[in-house]
Amino acid sequence: MSLRLLVSLLLALVLGWSAPARASNIEISRIALEGNDEGYALDADFEIEFNPRLEDAINKGVALYFEVEFELTRKRWYWFDDSVSRQLMLRLSYHALTRQYRISSGALYQSFSTLPDALRVLSRVRSWQVLERAQVSAGADYQAGLRMRLDVTQLPKPFQVSALTSREWNLASEWRRWPFRIKAPVTEIAPQ
Amino acid sequence: MKYVLIFGVALGAILLFLLAAASGNTALFSRHYALLLGLNAALAVALLALIGYQLWVLTAKLRTRVFGSRLTLRFLLMFLPMVIVPGGLVYVVSLQFMAKSIESWFDVRVDNALEGGLNLGRTALDLLLTELHDKARRMALDLSDKTPSQQVVLLDRLREQAGIDDALLLSSGGNVIASASKGVGKLLPDLPNSMIQRQARQSRGYSALEGEPGRGLMLRVLVPLAALSIAGDERLLQLLQPVPPTLARDAEAVQEVYRDYKELSLSRQGLKEIYILTLTLTLLLTLFSATALAFLLSARLSEPLALLAAGTQAVARGDYSRRAQVTSSDELGILTQSFNSMTEQLDDARSAAESHRAELETAKAYLENILANLSAGVLVFDEQLRLGTVNYGAGAILQEGFDGLKGQTLADWPRLQPLARAIVEGFKQHGADTWQQQLDLAERMLLVRGSVLPRASGGGYVIVFDDVTKLVQAQRAAAWGEVARRLAHEIKNPLTPIQLSAERLQAKLANKLAPEDSATLSRATATIINQVAAMKGMVDDFGEYARTPVPDLQPLDLNALVREVLVLYEHAGALVRPALQAGLPRVTGDPTQLRQVIHNLLQNAQDALAGSAGPRIEVETERAGNQACLRISDNGCGFPEAIMTRVFEPYVTTKARGTGLGLAIVKKIIDEHNGAVRVENLPGRGASVSITLPLQPESAKVA
Repeated sequence: MSLRLLVSLLLALVLGWSAPARASNIEISRIALEGNDEGYALDADFEIEFNPRLEDAINKGVALYFEVEFELTRKRWYWFDDSVSRQLMLRLSYHALTRQYRISSGALYQSFSTLPDALRVLSRVRSWQVLERAQVSAGADYQAGLRMRLDVTQLPKPFQVSALTSREWNLASEWRRWPFRIKAPVTEIAPQ
Repeated sequence: MKYVLIFGVALGAILLFLLAAASGNTALFSRHYALLLGLNAALAVALLALIGYQLWVLTAKLRTRVFGSRLTLRFLLMFLPMVIVPGGLVYVVSLQFMAKSIESWFDVRVDNALEGGLNLGRTALDLLLTELHDKARRMALDLSDKTPSQQVVLLDRLREQAGIDDALLLSSGGNVIASASKGVGKLLPDLPNSMIQRQARQSRGYSALEGEPGRGLMLRVLVPLAALSIAGDERLLQLLQPVPPTLARDAEAVQEVYRDYKELSLSRQGLKEIYILTLTLTLLLTLFSATALAFLLSARLSEPLALLAAGTQAVARGDYSRRAQVTSSDELGILTQSFNSMTEQLDDARSAAESHRAELETAKAYLENILANLSAGVLVFDEQLRLGTVNYGAGAILQEGFDGLKGQTLADWPRLQPLARAIVEGFKQHGADTWQQQLDLAERMLLVRGSVLPRASGGGYVIVFDDVTKLVQAQRAAAWGEVARRLAHEIKNPLTPIQLSAERLQAKLANKLAPEDSATLSRATATIINQVAAMKGMVDDFGEYARTPVPDLQPLDLNALVREVLVLYEHAGALVRPALQAGLPRVTGDPTQLRQVIHNLLQNAQDALAGSAGPRIEVETERAGNQACLRISDNGCGFPEAIMTRVFEPYVTTKARGTGLGLAIVKKIIDEHNGAVRVENLPGRGASVSITLPLQPESAKVA
């Protein structure tokens, strides 16, 4: 058993950790990056393919951390690429005493009495302020990227070991990338 | 290699420590747990590769039979069990122990107790909630038949009666109509959100237990008030009551433990895997480092031996310059030092022997050089009288190359038998004493000296001989000169009185005797006088031979001299045929003495031709290098072979008459002219005498 584990661990080492991450069981179904007064806010819908193993872990009190990563890069031939990245950490946990599921992000939290309710909210990101106006220059061609994954490193260590070899613990989406062009602010300067 | 290993082991120790720390409950490394595992595994693989490399090197050494590699292998095979057996034992025991202890954490009774505790807490909270709900319903009933303004007044009193912390009256729009609170300082009531309100209206009531981090548990109950009229808005009454702190704390604690326990039981497999993984990695790293270390140690242990072996092999090949470099202070170091000093001594001894040999060789070469340059002949024989060494002088004297004679016993010599016989005879007679003997071979005279070599130097015999032919001839010539001088002196003196006395006897007695007697007297005296005259001539000849003056050397035309002499022989019985080379350069010589030489030779030739038919004498002159050659040949009787070697000695003659001094004088004169004279018998009949004279130095150059 330990040998099998070791072998798969070595295999994973050889393949550069890529094998488990290949399984994409989170799909990104909708993305909208909208400009507002402060900058740009992201709305995104995910489809999370939850498996019984994770459900069991949640119900046994293990907290799961979901990380949404946003990235904006601009290719520069003369220097390193210009890039901005944002992370949103969502914690999903179960409170056994009150029998409530809870999604928290920082100090904010929301309670749900059922897991599907909680997952529905978890898979909907709304008005995530990802960019400030000053961070991007208008008229440039950017490449935006988004993904969501279960942050395995935040799990208790025993689960991390399982996660190394089991794909059930590796919940992640592929990077979804799309070109993004900041509209020139000409319209704001010269109102018609 | 050493440093790679030290680095690897140090890294392994650090990584293992980190891994063990991360396996524990510290949060410090837990985030990088996977990375740590990977690093450890990578290190294990690297160490394995190192071992593989070492094994490969060792195999290659074994295959090429490098000295010391077998010893390395033996050390290794001794070290490895010392590493593997304890390591494996500890590993297996730890694994068993770990599995047992992890399993022992989990117990059905503990599980049930925790479950029960949690349920207890839930039930208690549910009871509180139900109680609060009942109170809310009663309050709602009390409030529902009042007017809105009365409701506001009544709310606080009802709250007071029910012993509730917070009471709130909401309009259908969600606005606060009235608020009653136990605490004074609280200004803003805790509003329910729209979802709760909607739920409360739809299902005629809402009750929930809300846990807020930091604030403890809170009971929230909402009930709708019965509307006064159909059109009137439906108000909501919210009651908020905190769960008693002790109950909340205990329930929270039970829940925490329950959650931890559940999590632990869920992660049991993972936990075991962690420990197994950590243990396995520890085992592997330890084993691999120890194995690599064993390799290194084995190599280090056998290295001095290999060095020594290399040194030994070098010494065996004759190379003493290799010194094994071992600087350890143990027995190996001492061994190496002894080896080095031994090698040094060997080297010294060898170089001493070498120089000794060189000295001997030089001495031998020196001796050989001397031997070669010795005019005397040297022959060295071994104890069986087999010829060993021959010097150049021996060959030159005997005119013999000694081919095929070397290694032959004297008795088996195909040539030089007289000499061989004399040598064998000499050693037989004298035994171990040194002997000396003059040996008269047909053509030359040898003085042979034999001695026995000392037995210490290998034994054998050595013969030294000299060609003494010329010496003997010179001695004879000197002796004859002395004889001639004496004769001339002692004999000549009485001759004149004898002659005079005979003449006087003739003169006085001739007339007084009878004619017969007178005739007898005359004959006798005549005989005396004639014989005395002959004796006088003979004595004169001797005197001449003895008294030959030192030649008065001067440039001389040899051809002119020959012609001058030949004039005297024009009317002799023999036909003289001169063949003189024209333009012969002048020679150095005394004309008087050379004239006598030619005379003597012509006389000899004439004498040899006496009584032969068709007598002929040939006189030739020619140039031979920087010498002039005069040859006088006849077709007479020639020289008898017996006297060929002694033909120039005085008193050696074949003629009935004659002193035998003719050729002796010729020889003497020519010797004093630095020339040479040679006689030979011609094939067929006759003999020839050749004289070579040195040319005048200037004329030799001019020519």
